Amino acid sequence: MSKRVLVVDDSVFMRDIIKDIFAAGGFSVVGEAGNGVEAVEKYKELKPDLVTMDLVMPYRNGIDATREILRGDGKALVVMCSALGQETMVMEAIEAGAVDFIVKPPRAEDVLAVVKKVLGEG
Amino acid sequence: MAASWDTSRYLSLFVGEATEHLDALGKELVRLEGGVTAEAIDSLFRHAHSVKGMAGSMGFEATTALGHRLEDLLDRVRTAPHRFDRTTADLVLQAVDALSGHVKAASNSEPFPDATELARQLELVALSMQPGTTPIPFREPVAPPPLVESAPSPESALPPRYDVKLRVATSSAQPGVRGFLAYKRLSSLGNLFRCTPSLDEVKAGKLPGGVFAVELETTETEAAIGKTVSQVADVELVSVTRVVAPPPVPVAEDPASPSEPEPARVVGQEPPRTVRVRTELLDGFLDLAGELLLATASARDVGRVLPDEPRGRFTEAIDRLHSLVRGLHDLVMEARMTPVASITDRLPRAARDIARRRGREIELIVSGSDVELDRAIVDELNDPVLHLLRNAIDHGVEPPEERRMRGKPPRGTVKLSVRRVTDRVVLELEDDGRGMDTERLKAVAVERGLITIEAARVMTEREALMLSTAPGLSTAASITDISGRGVGMDAVRRAVEGVGGTLEISSRRGAGTTFKLSLPLTMAMVNLLLVGLADEVYGLPIAKVAGVVEATRGSLSHSRAEPVLPFGTGVVPARELSAVLEIPGRPQAVDALSPFVVVETDEGRIALAVDALLGQEEVVLKVLTRPLDQVAGLAGVTVLGSGRPVFILDVARLEVPRRVLVGGEA
Repeated sequence: MSKRVLVVDDSVFMRDIIKDIFAAGGFSVVGEAGNGVEAVEKYKELKPDLVTMDLVMPYRNGIDATREILRGDGKALVVMCSALGQETMVMEAIEAGAVDFIVKPPRAEDVLAVVKKVLGEG
Repeated sequence: MAASWDTSRYLSLFVGEATEHLDALGKELVRLEGGVTAEAIDSLFRHAHSVKGMAGSMGFEATTALGHRLEDLLDRVRTAPHRFDRTTADLVLQAVDALSGHVKAASNSEPFPDATELARQLELVALSMQPGTTPIPFREPVAPPPLVESAPSPESALPPRYDVKLRVATSSAQPGVRGFLAYKRLSSLGNLFRCTPSLDEVKAGKLPGGVFAVELETTETEAAIGKTVSQVADVELVSVTRVVAPPPVPVAEDPASPSEPEPARVVGQEPPRTVRVRTELLDGFLDLAGELLLATASARDVGRVLPDEPRGRFTEAIDRLHSLVRGLHDLVMEARMTPVASITDRLPRAARDIARRRGREIELIVSGSDVELDRAIVDELNDPVLHLLRNAIDHGVEPPEERRMRGKPPRGTVKLSVRRVTDRVVLELEDDGRGMDTERLKAVAVERGLITIEAARVMTEREALMLSTAPGLSTAASITDISGRGVGMDAVRRAVEGVGGTLEISSRRGAGTTFKLSLPLTMAMVNLLLVGLADEVYGLPIAKVAGVVEATRGSLSHSRAEPVLPFGTGVVPARELSAVLEIPGRPQAVDALSPFVVVETDEGRIALAVDALLGQEEVVLKVLTRPLDQVAGLAGVTVLGSGRPVFILDVARLEVPRRVLVGGEA
């Protein structure tokens, strides 16, 4: 069974790109969220195998959302999506428990390589 | 050598460095009794030389003269190490003490103690060491003292360490973050030490050739380490090698020229660049960082009333600010971390002196001196640890004859081990002496009215041992020899609990006693249970809260006319918190449900009735200043996000008058 992914990003455009990458890589995107609050709710509801999480979002940023998700499920696999120049925030997210990160704009091979490693398939 | 320039601004530097040299001198000297080598003598000489040189620059003539004599003597010993005997060592130790006295006097702007007689003796002994002379008898010969030395830590006590070398792919977009991610992953396997280059440089992506190395202390296998690294994209494992434990104290002498100050204690391969900072300055940083955290929290509270649209952006900015401030706070805390070596380094010398005075033979084994703790905690523990050591030798370890009779080796062993256990540091002091007599302890406690016969009967072994820390008992001189433990144990316990630690005692008659101190790494943050009482909010340290029970006042049962609350398998006395604090409380109906917080005081558990439970919060503890520090029952104060100041109760030492009962009369 293909692994189930939740894609979190406030930009629909970016979500689409990421969704396409996953679809091409044989993953099934089971849900998406446009802010941190929604991300936490969707995670609880869908229990995906993996989450890709944007850093900067309205209402609740990606770091807080990651923290909240991990509070509910210590085994959650959250991969951060960041732009260049957000190194400090990514490290903070890692401190908060994110397992890896991908850099925007996302390149298919990089995203899949990271995700497979995280899922222990790489 | 008169100084022609203003030396006062160099005084604190002088005091700091001279003290380090003298401490090192004393320490090395004690170690020397295991065997004299030319290198070791060289090192002593260099320390003495440095102190003399610095004292000269400061214009401290008496200190310079004494330092000069000491240096002279050590110089002679250099050419004739075999002439370095115990009496010489004693004399050198005296000189070190005298020089330390001078340094202290200089620091306090007091007159220097006279040392002319000592200088003369040093000179005499030095002269006697001239080639062709026989050693002059110097004072009455003393019985050979027990040998005290610091032995390497037993390797088996610690998980193995591995040197893990990693390479981040040069094609990686953010090599610093990749490196950090790998670091974080490894940290889930155990404890990390010595990141080269430093973690900050790794985070900044300053990786020569993409390579960095960390030392990992773990019980996992090399394969597991490999697997963990393999799960991080763009990072490959270069090598994993088992590290052979280095001796805890570097014995090799630094080749630095005598006039140069000792290099700072190094942890990594290359000495990190260090700078000396006054501890008050660090305290100031911590205070400010704490204030910043509080200010951020209060800004967050302000944001809660904003309309939706600006609130999102505001919260985000506050989140960012909060994590930056948190980072700053962590860094300040890290800067305050200091190895417990500053406590343990003094112990071999102290053990030697105590043992010698008391006619004991002692081997002191110290391990884990490199474990780090908040400087404030280390400072607080100096005396208690020394006290425990003194007690172990004075009252724990038997005299050699007695030990022989009991079939023990004549030389007693005292082990001091320090180790990091998750987020705490455990310090254990163990002796193989006569152990403590709990029956005796209980009997005396009953005799002094501290506990009832009934209580003594049902007391566990552990509780009975803790009686030795009760103020009424441990200050009683007569208990000293019967209990196997001496005076001042109450002070030890107070100090340990004062920094947020706990003290446990275990002991076996005839086999020895172990004191176990479990300490927090830092003392500035404290986890509170917030309770409401009338219109006030108070904080109870979670560490002291045993549980919370809801009950009505009418449902309490009574034991000897005292209301008690069922808790666990027994009952605990119930009190109104308002009455304990001597503040007016809100009258409560006997059938209204109220929360009772069961807390651990020094006198045992009690249940405190409060109006409401308001939640849990990790706060920055601020110490009270005058005149508030005079108020009994308060441990400190903190400011909540709302800006509301909250007093933190000193639960361990709450004074609970018997008459203040829960119920209709409250």
